[in-house]
Amino acid sequence: MSAFPGELDSGASEGSSGSPYAVKLALFEGPLDLLLHLIRVNEVEITDIPIARISEQYLASLETIRELDLDVAGEFLLMAATLAWIKSRMLLPPDGLDTEGEGPDPRAELVARLLEYQRFKEVARELAERRWLGRDVFEAHASPLESQPESEREIAVGVFELIEAYRRVLARAGPSAAPHEVEVETVTVRERMRVVMKALELRPSLEFTECVLTSEGVFPSRSIFVATFLAILELSRLAALRIYQGVDERGGPQGPIHLRRSDDPGSGAWSEQVAEIM
Amino acid sequence: MERSEQLSIAEALILASPEPIPLPRLASLIPSCKPAVARALVDELNAEYLMRGRAFEIWEVAGGFQLRTLPAFASYVQASQPERPLRLSQAALETLAVVAYRQPVTRAEIEHVRGVDAGAVLRSLLERHLVRIAGHREVPGRPLLYATSRRFLEVFGLARIEDLPTLRELAELAPEGPAGAHPTLESVGSVSEAPEPPGQPADEDDADVSDDDEYFDDDEDPRSESE
Repeated sequence: MSAFPGELDSGASEGSSGSPYAVKLALFEGPLDLLLHLIRVNEVEITDIPIARISEQYLASLETIRELDLDVAGEFLLMAATLAWIKSRMLLPPDGLDTEGEGPDPRAELVARLLEYQRFKEVARELAERRWLGRDVFEAHASPLESQPESEREIAVGVFELIEAYRRVLARAGPSAAPHEVEVETVTVRERMRVVMKALELRPSLEFTECVLTSEGVFPSRSIFVATFLAILELSRLAALRIYQGVDERGGPQGPIHLRRSDDPGSGAWSEQVAEIM
Repeated sequence: MERSEQLSIAEALILASPEPIPLPRLASLIPSCKPAVARALVDELNAEYLMRGRAFEIWEVAGGFQLRTLPAFASYVQASQPERPLRLSQAALETLAVVAYRQPVTRAEIEHVRGVDAGAVLRSLLERHLVRIAGHREVPGRPLLYATSRRFLEVFGLARIEDLPTLRELAELAPEGPAGAHPTLESVGSVSEAPEPPGQPADEDDADVSDDDEYFDDDEDPRSESE
């Protein structure tokens, strides 16, 4: 279901070996989470951690993971080193040369991080208990009217979606479409901006993929491709064109991304703006 | 115009709106209606729904009003939906919590708070449109900044990001949370950036596209994941 297996459905999948320990350890979100757990089961104060006892138990937990042949993530090891360092600092006598008295508590930074993390865990719990749209409550669905020329509205096509589309075009074109190239082309973003705007003067709306592929639907050279992509982003930033995409019934983006000339009266000035910027 | 007529118009407008309808827009569409009156109409409608035992109510989310089913009917409506109900892991929730309260925030800052890598979680939150890229921090390396999205407000039923309880309020609720024990935690409650305005494209003018590989490790269509 997820493109990143194990990410959204918690790390519990690591415990598929069937061992109760594996499942339990996989449930810790990280070294801070494990430490908070140890502090809780030991019934000690975060602000006054018995560092020797806690770090011993912490290492024992890591050992359990290792015995089960599971990888101990680097961040757990880093915390083990931090604990060892704090423990060694606690054993040192107060610096005799320091006339100010005792130095800062070597645990202070860790305590601050634990308190902060604990607070965000609390926020996460609060978020989890809210009434989620799509889990606890559902919205009334009214679709935009069909009589609209296209069931499109301007949506927040972020850079993220645009890059996705860019990658899809790349994937569609495949590597073979652009065979070995020797000649050096000089392509500028500015030039590609002119090409895109010229195309938009002829037609009110262009599909994103037509813009980046050549008129024969062939993948152009990589430099043209990249320059065109940047040109579209730049034109969008200058409000010379707008980027549209259809929406599905749940408000998510759907279908091809379209480019349209901006209706803003000032958008004709895009070329001056380009000249100014680039 | 009769108030009862205004009430029905407000109900029709909210029902027929494909997305949360903002208060000023609602008021402008009802003849001789000021925003304060429109809000009173919504309250009246909700009172009526409650009294009559209707299965829905009007929520104020992401800067507008929207009709939503009551939680009591969740299991029935879930069964009727093509998608599986929304699920978020503990890692995703904790990351969202940090983004919500620290936004705009860098990946490194999130990782410092949680003590673990945040790359994969951030990617999946971006795919679900719960988090957006809000530009760069102008420091060496120009790291990307993350912020919560309009979708975040919709999913968690918030009218605006300021409606999240402050961290101090949460600490007071939590039995084990020593409130304000550390000075650096005092300033956390304020959110330094307003949410993106409803219906406006996200402000990612200066988001850098050159380092996209950091976010895309595969060719999956992220929209297949969005609900």
